[in-house]
Amino acid sequence: MAKTIMVVDDSASLRQVVSIALRGAGFDVIEACDGKDGLSKITGQKIHLIISDVNMPNMDGITFVKEVKKLANYKFTPIIMLTTESQEAKKQEGQAAGAKAWVVKPFQPAQMLAAVSKLIMP
Amino acid sequence: MNMDQALQTYIEESRGLLDEMESILLRLESEPQDEETVNAMFRAAHTIKGSAGLFGLDAIVAFTHVVENVLDEVREGTQAVNGELVELLLKCCDHIGLLITVVAEAGEMLDMEQAAAGEAIAAVLRSLMGGAASGVAMPAVQEPRLDASGGGPIEGDYWHISLGFGPDVLRNGMDPISFIRYLSTIGDIVSLRVDDSELPELNAIDPESCYLSFSIEFKSEADKKTIEDAFEFVREDCRLRIFPPPSHLAAFVERLEHASGNTDMLGQLLIEAGILTSNELEDALAAQENTMAAGGGAKLPIGEVLVKEGVVQKEVVDVALEKQRQIRDHKAQEAKFIRVSAEKLDELINLVGELVIAGAGASLLAHRSGDVALHESTSVVSGLVEEIRDGALKLRMVEIGETFNRFQRVVRDVSKELGKDIGLEISGAETELDKTVVEKIGDPLMHLVRNAMDHGIESAEARMAAGKPAKGSLRLNAYHDSGSIVIEVADDGGGLKKERILKKAVERGIISPGQTLSDNDIYNLIFEAGFSTADQVTSLSGRGVGMDVVKRNIQALRGTVDIESLEGHGTTVRIRLPLTLAIIDGFLVGVGKSAFVVPLDMVLECIELSDADRKAADTRNYVNLRGEVLPFVRLRDQFEVNAAAGKRENIVVVQYGGQKAGFVVDELMGEFQTVIKPLGSVFRHLRGISGSTILGTGEVALILDVPALVQLGVARDEQMVMHGA
Repeated sequence: MAKTIMVVDDSASLRQVVSIALRGAGFDVIEACDGKDGLSKITGQKIHLIISDVNMPNMDGITFVKEVKKLANYKFTPIIMLTTESQEAKKQEGQAAGAKAWVVKPFQPAQMLAAVSKLIMP
Repeated sequence: MNMDQALQTYIEESRGLLDEMESILLRLESEPQDEETVNAMFRAAHTIKGSAGLFGLDAIVAFTHVVENVLDEVREGTQAVNGELVELLLKCCDHIGLLITVVAEAGEMLDMEQAAAGEAIAAVLRSLMGGAASGVAMPAVQEPRLDASGGGPIEGDYWHISLGFGPDVLRNGMDPISFIRYLSTIGDIVSLRVDDSELPELNAIDPESCYLSFSIEFKSEADKKTIEDAFEFVREDCRLRIFPPPSHLAAFVERLEHASGNTDMLGQLLIEAGILTSNELEDALAAQENTMAAGGGAKLPIGEVLVKEGVVQKEVVDVALEKQRQIRDHKAQEAKFIRVSAEKLDELINLVGELVIAGAGASLLAHRSGDVALHESTSVVSGLVEEIRDGALKLRMVEIGETFNRFQRVVRDVSKELGKDIGLEISGAETELDKTVVEKIGDPLMHLVRNAMDHGIESAEARMAAGKPAKGSLRLNAYHDSGSIVIEVADDGGGLKKERILKKAVERGIISPGQTLSDNDIYNLIFEAGFSTADQVTSLSGRGVGMDVVKRNIQALRGTVDIESLEGHGTTVRIRLPLTLAIIDGFLVGVGKSAFVVPLDMVLECIELSDADRKAADTRNYVNLRGEVLPFVRLRDQFEVNAAAGKRENIVVVQYGGQKAGFVVDELMGEFQTVIKPLGSVFRHLRGISGSTILGTGEVALILDVPALVQLGVARDEQMVMHGA
């Protein structure tokens, strides 16, 4: 049973590229377009890793991470934040919220896979 | 090939190995001392365990690990082989077989009884080891496969990673194992030990906290930063120490020693050498701040902090400190320099030149006036002027080392381009010479170096065939020799080939076919215009321009170049240059009413030309100097001085480049500070004169070009000898 990764980003194309890369590496992928969408899709299934953008409409990544950490089922789920070089403050904030891993945008699919493989195996 | 098929292969393989173990055990009972059989058994157990790890068959790994430990002790000789042990090990084989069967019949579990039996065996095995392994060594998560000849933990050249996870790591969504698993994608985990010393009593354990530390022997070609990056996401939550393999240490130290010197910060130096990563440095700096706050303001040196924190070994820090000291010294030295424009310096030296001439005039007048007091004071003045002159000239003297060092890079690049392995040795780098000379010697040197690398040093194959080391060697050397500086460019290549040079020279019409030449003359033919012996013209050299340009450049500096070569052993090109181009110590001589200056450094002695010799000298141009033939040149004849010979004549014996010759003159007038005034371009082609100077009286004296005259004297002498014969 392949492990499941949730990709939360408001850019459909980014979600698609990341999904293709992750599926290619043997993961199942659930996509969500913002924090709110992510929270609504997170219940009722086992998700092993969450990849989330910071800036998103409806609910931003930081709030999303804080909400996810409140869920008993997801207490130990690793979260990767997608940050940009200029968002050092956001990165700190994300880490404080509980997203200890990060990938700096823009990134190559291979970089994303490397980050993921540091955290979970397919 | 999928994992299921691979698993089938493993099951078959393991069963085979178990059979083998069993037969070995039975044999062992009869001949317990056979080392190889024990080894074979160890290998079998090891293979079963290692592969089990790959498939995640933890039960097999755990059990086989214990068996392996006992076998290791047997192998080491610390565990005696007896019937009891063999019996036990046979039981082990049975149990492993059972475990494998369970795997084969996927899904089935050991029943309670079987599991208990296995645990009992394992317990007996552990007791056999006498609790020696109290710090329970867990099997590696992913054992690297060892080839059949290997076996056992290999003491070796591995990275050592010490990894202490913080208690919050699990709460942060990080699984320690996944990082270790990731590590195996950039290298092989040779061994992994779990340190559970932090683990509290069972009832005090917080299941959400992590208490484990790991120490890993890691085999990888990756650099320290790559390995550190594997733990990027847990850095804040864990204590990470990465020690390079012992073999890397030497390389690190070497890299340290060759650090660019861009920084004199210890941390930066270590980072540059790849010993420290910037994250580690930041942590150490933070630790430094902390201790400073705690220790009441005393700031620990960063090197000590790094050693104390166990980030870098003390030996490495010591090397780095030494390097830092060197760089700082160098910087301090740099700070002591004042940058002065070369123009100002030239002006000063010109003025000193005028001062010398004016001083000479003054002392001449004082001498003539016969006033003792005046004479004395002018002699003090001229003494001081001399010192000022030397001091001013020294201002322009620079070490040749810097020029030489530029060639390190040239040699590296060119040897790469040519596909040859060539090393550069530099000696005499501290030899000083005039800055104007240094500036102008760069191009000719570059040409000689490239030439030596291209044509001199042979290809590695040719060198091996000739019994020489494959790596060619190029040597740059400089030293002072009788008032001039000698720069040598030497290679240990194939040497010059006389026949080829002669043939080429005849082809090019440089010499006529019948001409006989000394070896030296033959070698020097390569400095003739339009000469090239290279079979192939390369981009570097061999177009026949170059060596003659080199010679012209050097002659323009009042220098000479000659070449020495031994076929098959190498070539040495020797450049002689005057130390300075401005003021020299001269020796003033008179012929008739004219005055000439001989550079004092080249004067060996002065002797009187005896009457007998004077008579004989009408027919021959040499005298007997203490049993040595001394060819001489009559300056009167050479420069067509229209004056009758004086009552007495003297010979000034000079030496240049290992050859002696004499100049016949009328009068010896003694030492004279000579300010060199270059000759106008009209006189450039005059042979035997290298410049002019102004005497104290305001008269002009010509400076003799000793090398040219010596050559002339020697050549004439040889001619006469040949005619006489």
